[in-house]
Amino acid sequence: MVLALIGDHPYFWYSSILWWGCFPKTSAEEKWEKMSDMFTEEGVSRRSVLKGTVAGAGALAAGGLVSAGTASSADAAGAKKVSVGSNQSDPAARKNDLAWVAAAKTAGFDVKLNTVDHNTFQNQINSYLQGTPDDVFTWFAGYRMQFFAKKGLATSISDVWKKIAPNFSAGYKNASTGLDGKQYFIPTTWYPWAIMYRKSVFKAAGVDPATIVTWADFINACKTFQSKGITPVALGDKGGWEAMGTFDFINFRTNGFKFHMDLTAGRAKWTDPRVQKTFANWATMFPYQNNNVLDLAWDGAAQLVLQKKAAMQVMGAFHASIYTDPADLADLALFAFPEITPAYGREAVEAPIDGYMLSKHASKNLANAKSLAEFISSDKYGKAVLAVAPTALFANNKMPKPSDPFALSQVNLVNGCKYIAQFFDRDSRPDFAGTIFQSALQKFLGGGDPKAIATDLQQQWDALPPA
Amino acid sequence: MTSSTSTKTAAAEATPRRRRRGHNFTTTDRAVLSGLVGGPTLLHILLVWIPALCTVALSFTYWDGIGGLNEIHWVGLKNYQQIFTIYQDFKPAVRNNVLWLGFFAIIATPLGVILAYYIDKELKGTKFFQTAFYLPMVLSLAVTGIVWDYIFRTNGFVNSVMGNTDAQTAISWFGDPHKNIWIVLIIASWRHIGYVMLLYLAGMKSVDPSLHEAAAIDGATSWYTFRKVIFPSLRPVNVIIIVITVIDSLRAFDLVYIINRGRNGLQLLGVLVYDNIFGEATRIGWGSALATILFALSIIPIMLYLYQTFKKDK
Repeated sequence: MVLALIGDHPYFWYSSILWWGCFPKTSAEEKWEKMSDMFTEEGVSRRSVLKGTVAGAGALAAGGLVSAGTASSADAAGAKKVSVGSNQSDPAARKNDLAWVAAAKTAGFDVKLNTVDHNTFQNQINSYLQGTPDDVFTWFAGYRMQFFAKKGLATSISDVWKKIAPNFSAGYKNASTGLDGKQYFIPTTWYPWAIMYRKSVFKAAGVDPATIVTWADFINACKTFQSKGITPVALGDKGGWEAMGTFDFINFRTNGFKFHMDLTAGRAKWTDPRVQKTFANWATMFPYQNNNVLDLAWDGAAQLVLQKKAAMQVMGAFHASIYTDPADLADLALFAFPEITPAYGREAVEAPIDGYMLSKHASKNLANAKSLAEFISSDKYGKAVLAVAPTALFANNKMPKPSDPFALSQVNLVNGCKYIAQFFDRDSRPDFAGTIFQSALQKFLGGGDPKAIATDLQQQWDALPPA
Repeated sequence: MTSSTSTKTAAAEATPRRRRRGHNFTTTDRAVLSGLVGGPTLLHILLVWIPALCTVALSFTYWDGIGGLNEIHWVGLKNYQQIFTIYQDFKPAVRNNVLWLGFFAIIATPLGVILAYYIDKELKGTKFFQTAFYLPMVLSLAVTGIVWDYIFRTNGFVNSVMGNTDAQTAISWFGDPHKNIWIVLIIASWRHIGYVMLLYLAGMKSVDPSLHEAAAIDGATSWYTFRKVIFPSLRPVNVIIIVITVIDSLRAFDLVYIINRGRNGLQLLGVLVYDNIFGEATRIGWGSALATILFALSIIPIMLYLYQTFKKDK
């Protein structure tokens, strides 16, 4: 059984080289050694070189065997071993991970946390999930989750959901369900997208955010800021994904939530004239944006708001993460994106949900992994993370309402909405939202023709392989 | 065994022309040689040529990288057809790669050759210039990209020197698709010139000095000597310079990826291949088709040039 366990480990094959070095010299080898002594000058014989490589392989194998030994050792003293792959690479986010891992330890889990750089984790998710992934990994709700579940790269946790359903509203259960009706996702935290602003800047310009309800109000406010010498809206789309938030908002405010979801899923066409209305509305915002949109990433644009050089930014609530001074943080506030078509009002919002999934590999450690999934869905997890991140918002309804006013305003914002979108790159196909759509948006922001862009988008969608 | 080897060697010396060198090797020698040569060749075929052929084969399929052979759907030339007609990033990428090649071939490489010519004269201070021009090669391309990003970003060195510190007046060097490729070409040349200069200098040092003297006696100017006498005699070095110019311009990736992940005017074929194969959404067939196009673009001019050059030699 030990051999079987080690056999799975790649270093087993290196160890077989070790065996070769253990056999005594044959007469042929002795002759070889004599002959090579004839031909070499420095006395470094071929056999010694070969011996060297064998010794090296042996050292590798010895080290490998040792690690194979520890990897295959039985669980120690009843602690449930689970490995977790995390994309929380920012120092602040990593603190959250360490906090809940410590709480899990007291609950009897031995969690092995593997943290990978945020963007790298997403980019390599395909090869990661097909290789030897961790049992549990951080991921996002939406089509992005359903896509990998459909490909068979995740383990269904419907039985865990039967137990934990009371902790979550129906909306969260829907967001965790795959295309086959089974649940695959444990939601943990979420954040809304809205218009971020500094109260002092608005006060100094004499603009009251409560008066910004319609698009006309919004453009008037932009004009006021511009006359005062402040850039009204800061936008940075260097990363390619930032402008998707603005696109999504304008699209579902102009054409309704159902049309937006149909568009992301491919049921509606990009050549639909309603898409042109979205682009036209967005173009009215261009004169009020900073003029180096494609040169700034999201944090560069957020800096403009922090430094009071710009008044507003359409961004997720993580905009607050660049505010290190508590005085600045107290000055930060948000309001909902203005309505455009009165019929749709402000009934929809972008509120991406983050959470955890079980990989296919978890089937080798199923009981422990499902147990950890239950722990993550509980308020023990929530309380541990809340202690280090007081502004985090939790999906678990057993968690107390946040006391921080900024966090509370986010909860109130979403509570007032009927529909929740996940964000374009989580609602749509990854092969479309990635290279194709990002490129199109950047072209539009650089002054491209929206009709040509929409036609190209539809052509490229049609050319995609069937989902 | 030892005695038979010495008789063989004696026989070989007696008839030096008839016996080829291979006949002096014993069977053990031959076994070791075939192992040492065959091993790396086998590895090369396994790790380079077979994957390359697989890439070409995959370029005729639809596959998202998940699942086994039964998930791979054959679609013939559809990927190529769609890349050439509707893929929006393809034309800018080809334009940028050709621009890169043209810039290197017409500006950067000749500048490197000219620099080598002047430094070869060994005037005062050339040792300093030699080191100074080669120094950019020492930095990795990623570091180069980061350093120059600090210089050309909106709140960077160039904008500050020009006085454009305000967000509205600052020039967007990397954000403007018409400007950013030229900035990147300047950065790439900054590096490439030193490389070409050093290669050429090494070649020129190996030129027979009697050629210089003969030309001087005939009354040729220094520049004329270089053009008509030295340059043609350095044919092997010229071949190397041309090959690295073509290859470096077609495989450019690091600089643009560090600056803005290869978008918005900085598209390159190498980046497109990477994005389609290694991103979150893997379109293996599509990326393989792009890789095959890049491979053809690289290999064909080089093969033509090498064939032309070595045909003349015969």
